[in-house]
Amino acid sequence: MDSFLTSRIVTDILNGLTNGAIYGLVALSLVLVWRATRVLNFAQGAMPMFATYLGMGLLSYHWPYWVCVGVCLVAAFAIGGVTERVLVRPLYGKPEINPIVVMVGYLIILEAFAAAIWSTTPRSLPAPFSPIDWRLAGQPVGLSPFSLFEVVTALVVMGAIVTLFRFTRLGLQLRASALAPEVSRLLGVRVGRMLTLGWMLSTAVGAVTAILVASNFFTGLTPQLMDGIFAFGFIAAAVGGLDSPVGAVTSGIALGVILQFVGDYLNSNAIILVALVILIVSLMVRPSGLLTRSAARRV
Amino acid sequence: MSAVARHGAVALGAFVVSVALAVSLAPRASDTVAAVVVAVVAAAAGFVGSLPAVRVGHPALARAMLTVVLVDAMVFATTFLSVPTDFNLATGAAMAIALLGLSFLTGASGQISIGNGAFMGVGAFATAIWANHHATTPIVVVLLISVAVGALFGLLLGLPATRLRGPYLAGMTLAFAVAFPAILSSFSSWTGGDSGLQLPNTVTPPHWLVGLFHAGTPTLTTDTLWLTDIIMVATGVAFFFMANLFASRTGRAMRLVRDNDVAAELVGVNLPRTRVIAFVISAAYAALGGALWTLLNNSVSPATYGFALSITILAVIVIGGIGTISGALIGGVVYAYSTSVIAWFVARTGLNPQGNLASQLNGIIFGALLIVTMMFSPLGIAGTIRHLRRRRALARERG
Repeated sequence: MDSFLTSRIVTDILNGLTNGAIYGLVALSLVLVWRATRVLNFAQGAMPMFATYLGMGLLSYHWPYWVCVGVCLVAAFAIGGVTERVLVRPLYGKPEINPIVVMVGYLIILEAFAAAIWSTTPRSLPAPFSPIDWRLAGQPVGLSPFSLFEVVTALVVMGAIVTLFRFTRLGLQLRASALAPEVSRLLGVRVGRMLTLGWMLSTAVGAVTAILVASNFFTGLTPQLMDGIFAFGFIAAAVGGLDSPVGAVTSGIALGVILQFVGDYLNSNAIILVALVILIVSLMVRPSGLLTRSAARRV
Repeated sequence: MSAVARHGAVALGAFVVSVALAVSLAPRASDTVAAVVVAVVAAAAGFVGSLPAVRVGHPALARAMLTVVLVDAMVFATTFLSVPTDFNLATGAAMAIALLGLSFLTGASGQISIGNGAFMGVGAFATAIWANHHATTPIVVVLLISVAVGALFGLLLGLPATRLRGPYLAGMTLAFAVAFPAILSSFSSWTGGDSGLQLPNTVTPPHWLVGLFHAGTPTLTTDTLWLTDIIMVATGVAFFFMANLFASRTGRAMRLVRDNDVAAELVGVNLPRTRVIAFVISAAYAALGGALWTLLNNSVSPATYGFALSITILAVIVIGGIGTISGALIGGVVYAYSTSVIAWFVARTGLNPQGNLASQLNGIIFGALLIVTMMFSPLGIAGTIRHLRRRRALARERG
């Protein structure tokens, strides 16, 4: 039995689930913004990165870990809200490449500012739980307290978002503003506020992700922290469908597991290649995502 | 004065000025001869191109003549500039070709790519790999092969584009840009891994030309100059083709796809085909730019073609004017001189040049310009110039 639990396949699945949880969270944050405002946010990695620097920087002033995490989340809420109001709102109704370009500019500027203020040297973050694998009969099982924490966090965040959207009045208003802004406005929903809230939520989900990535991936916190992760997160979101939160997280986790096997049985360079092929094939088969109902395009 | 006489006078004036410049600047008699030849060509082409009958009746011929004048003037200028300046100009000109591809993609089909740095890399490595296996192939053939390889990659990635709309395609090209270094590493026996490739021999001018034009000048100068001139000619050809394409029936169909794809489909434009063609052309142009960079540097390194290059390309073309032809030229100039302008600025303000802020100034300025441009003048510098000229023309009409 323990030979099965420590076997290569089980270890790969467990490691894959951990990575997949991260991809799923990034995908989820992309979906939140996409649903609210029809913008694919290319700064979705950089905004939380900045919030993480702001919050976790307080660790060097001996603030308690969880207080720093709280500051990160508050900073993320603020950054998300201000970004939507200042940068995104003027672009509604413009050609769809305009917000893409603006968000790429925002990505460049955030990474440059982060590097100018905090330098490009990686800054190691303490993990709140041990990142060393549990062992069974002397063999690592591919699961550590920290990676379990990651998976649980991803599931909790996803559950919270789904609960918010499905079962609360606020969630109903959020969905209504995204689907039918005019009607919602007539019915008294503050649509503008809802769109801002969508961006704030998305950046907060991103901040959770960025903290996990910076403490786990042996990279530490760097300005370019989220570039690669963003690509995987986008692939997960596009495969699952940019409109579906559950689809995004599901395909993120599936992608994590598949790519873990690719990295283990082929080589590490093949990971992103296979991810790219998955993206291209799935977009050709179903441009609106594998896990969504297809909808007629609005003309 | 009739229009013909006026254009004739302009051409004659340009001719006299160029000859005078040539005689006063050229250090050797052979250079003077070359300069006079250049001036005659420029004046003649300018005269033919500006004839009203040609401009109205044969717009393609007029564009060809304009291209000849510009390339001719650049070749003439590079003869008198220093080697580093030539190198800088050539770098910017090759970049302008890549920018033109991206500008076309957006201007003609409303799509956007964040992966054109990787397509430049495809062309750059195709050139280096081919040159290492077949050292004797003429440059023109090597360049054409690289363009073809770039187009092939464009086709592979562009196929999903038949069914995709803007954001998805942008995300997919971003994933390609992020994946490109891993692609290079996967085929390290071909691409040389992290250290990249050297070209087996430098591109040198043919002997008869060396004797005719640059007798006795040091090899490095002649080689850089020769490459610069090749790149100027390539840039001219690339811009000429693009100007014609923009004005052609295909170009009009593409602009309709950009402005209203439903209407385009109604009048019989094949949407998927048009989108893929635009994407393939954009990739081919990027590949040509990268191939020319490889020739110019005589080597290629994977570090050049990372994600950063892709977003720099996007930034530069947006600042120059995405969707316009002149915007690509302006973007090329911006790219060629941004580093030295920022260095000058750092020196003026007394920032520590090795400090964090100075080393990130490039990103901060480009990022800010990108946002400001899209917010206030989405057609960039080229669009602003066009707007100002139109307003002046309107004011003149009103008197």
